[in-house]
Amino acid sequence: MAAPPPALLLPSILLSCLCASSYGFILFSSLQKTLVVAPSNSTLLNNLIRFLLDEIVSLLFAVLKAGADDITVTWGVNQTLPAGSDSAYKTIKVKLCYAPVSQTDRAWRKTEDNLSKDKTCQFTIVSRPYTSGNNNQSFTWTVERDVPAATYFVAYGQSTDAHKTTNLFEIQAITGRHVSLDIASVCFSAFSVLALVGFFMNEKRKARRTQGK
Amino acid sequence: MGDIEGSPGSSMHGVTGKEQTFAFSVASPIVPTDTTAKFALPVDSEHKAKVFKIFSFANPHMRTFHLSWISFFTCFVSTFAAAPLVPIIRDNLNLTKSDIGNAGVASVSGSIFSRLAMGAICDMLGPRYGCAFLIMLSAPTVFCMSFVSSAGGYIAVRFMIGFSLATFVSCQYWMSTMFNSKIIGLVNGTAAGWGNMGGGATQLIMPLVYDLIQRAGATPFTAWRIAFFVPGCLHVIMGILVLTLGQDLPDGNLGALQKKGDVAKDKFSKVLWYAITNYRTWIFVLLYGYSMGVELSTDNVVAEYFYDRFNLKLHTAGIIAATFGMANIVARPFGGFASDRAARYFGMRGRLWVLWILQTLGGAFCIWLGRANSLPIAVLAMILFSVGAQAACGATFGIIPFISRRSLGIISGLTGAGGNFGSGLTQLIFFTSSRFSTETGLSLMGVMIICCTLPVTLVYFPQWGGMFLPPSRDVVKSTEEFYYGSEWNEEEKQKGLHQQSLKFAENSRSERGKRVASAPTPPNSTPNHV
Repeated sequence: MAAPPPALLLPSILLSCLCASSYGFILFSSLQKTLVVAPSNSTLLNNLIRFLLDEIVSLLFAVLKAGADDITVTWGVNQTLPAGSDSAYKTIKVKLCYAPVSQTDRAWRKTEDNLSKDKTCQFTIVSRPYTSGNNNQSFTWTVERDVPAATYFVAYGQSTDAHKTTNLFEIQAITGRHVSLDIASVCFSAFSVLALVGFFMNEKRKARRTQGK
Repeated sequence: MGDIEGSPGSSMHGVTGKEQTFAFSVASPIVPTDTTAKFALPVDSEHKAKVFKIFSFANPHMRTFHLSWISFFTCFVSTFAAAPLVPIIRDNLNLTKSDIGNAGVASVSGSIFSRLAMGAICDMLGPRYGCAFLIMLSAPTVFCMSFVSSAGGYIAVRFMIGFSLATFVSCQYWMSTMFNSKIIGLVNGTAAGWGNMGGGATQLIMPLVYDLIQRAGATPFTAWRIAFFVPGCLHVIMGILVLTLGQDLPDGNLGALQKKGDVAKDKFSKVLWYAITNYRTWIFVLLYGYSMGVELSTDNVVAEYFYDRFNLKLHTAGIIAATFGMANIVARPFGGFASDRAARYFGMRGRLWVLWILQTLGGAFCIWLGRANSLPIAVLAMILFSVGAQAACGATFGIIPFISRRSLGIISGLTGAGGNFGSGLTQLIFFTSSRFSTETGLSLMGVMIICCTLPVTLVYFPQWGGMFLPPSRDVVKSTEEFYYGSEWNEEEKQKGLHQQSLKFAENSRSERGKRVASAPTPPNSTPNHV
């Protein structure tokens, strides 16, 4: 078995539990740490350790490639809380959120306490009805090709510390460039320059000919 | 028609300063028609058109007009093509706000230099080749966008594409070889305004093209790259059309333009000296930076602003942003028209007041735009802001021809450069750092517009006065002849080099407004009642 790569962070993701009846504005700070979510990277299965809030973490690093790799998210109720505290939950939404390092200087990803204006979590991994009592439900999500390269996190409150520095992972986006596009670009450019030079030389030649007559 | 030929930046040659912006044609007694010429439009003795028939494509005059403004329009489209797609590009290239701001600054900075060089290029190669060279050599830079994979590359490519905005110079130059000076004001104003519209049209075109390409199956990060092929191909197509359908002169040949021996060549150093030592030049350089400059800055930021602030879809933000630039179709000519109208009653003082009012109102609406919290109010404020700023651009060029006769070309070139400089500066200060949000940036820009428009109160012409002060009482200094003659020294006057300036001075008496009838008789002339 290969030695585990250094400095890895294992991701876990926020659950925003939305009740069917709307509460109006929902604040991040009010979401309770009642659910625990641990995603796992299927390609690093051998090195995977599930993370629970009250357990010791050993960190693994995962760099996930957009369009190719996937994340498996499993969730269940935090066992330390009294039973029945999850009965009010109707839907479970798992979202991919930007870590602070990917938010600096980018106001379009800003975190606002007012959830309806918050732009931290722009990608929904899964959204489905919540069934209580059934621990360890999971979902596998292939990182989509329109996900930008950035560092993503854990989340606010639920499974990371207040500074959002633990449980971060990176996604390497596709560049969008293709060889065929590059070639087309070069061809069109060459055509433009050659056409211009061609016209110019042609007219010069004609002018010289009429002058010589 | 004597022009200062050969002086760099003399892109306004042929302009006498008396053209009324709303004159569509020039009647026969004023400028005699050459009846032997066989053109679709009536022409003068140089075969320049005396009539401006907007919807005609008649060769060569109107065809030149359309080729010219569409080329300029195309360059505006490609220079601002990235702006409405920034929400996608910023995620693909992992840009920060300062990267986006710097790219915006870069996109308008390149043309500061290319516009100055373009005048000389047109003098050497003629406007047709000047235009074609620029538009076809900048096509590769547009295609280069598909290679970009980092912030640095993005900024570099936008800088290079920005060089193409120098087609403004070739456009105005080409118009002045084809149209009589009495209507050149309207022709140039329309061409400039319609060209500037490209900054608005691109906000519509690019999101639409992007959408179509995405639906055809490409991922977002590939689709925006493919979308840039559209402005790139437009460059190539327009370049070829200009070369095949265009001609330099009404009679056809470039060679004849360069062989005009009967025009005195002025010394560049002198022309430059009189331009930079005239304080009014610098006031208008500053002012244009806050009418044209803020227009360019807004072209760069407004789509992203509406997308982020009001959570709109990309093409909705594009449509709103487009209305900003498209207002040019009427706003800029309107500014010139308002300036001319005011001049009829109040002379130069009227022109200065119109400029100050339009530009200050533009600034006020810009402040409002930044503070608007609801979408309909924001759109209204934006439209009013666009009309104010663009009309101010038109009004500025109602005054520029009167600042100097000898150095008109350089002053126009400097003013144009000032516009781009102002744009770079405002983008750098207000839209590059994360210190304030875009809405605060817009409001602060509005405040800066109002402050930087105040210097127009300092403009004073001894023969016409200023915004608050009346013309000079000195009998000698209060004549137009004295003002324009003072650009020539005694030696040059003895050689008669200043004749064109004197002719211009006489024509410019209309800037006295209603007081023309009571103009004091210049000294050394016979009094009316002997």
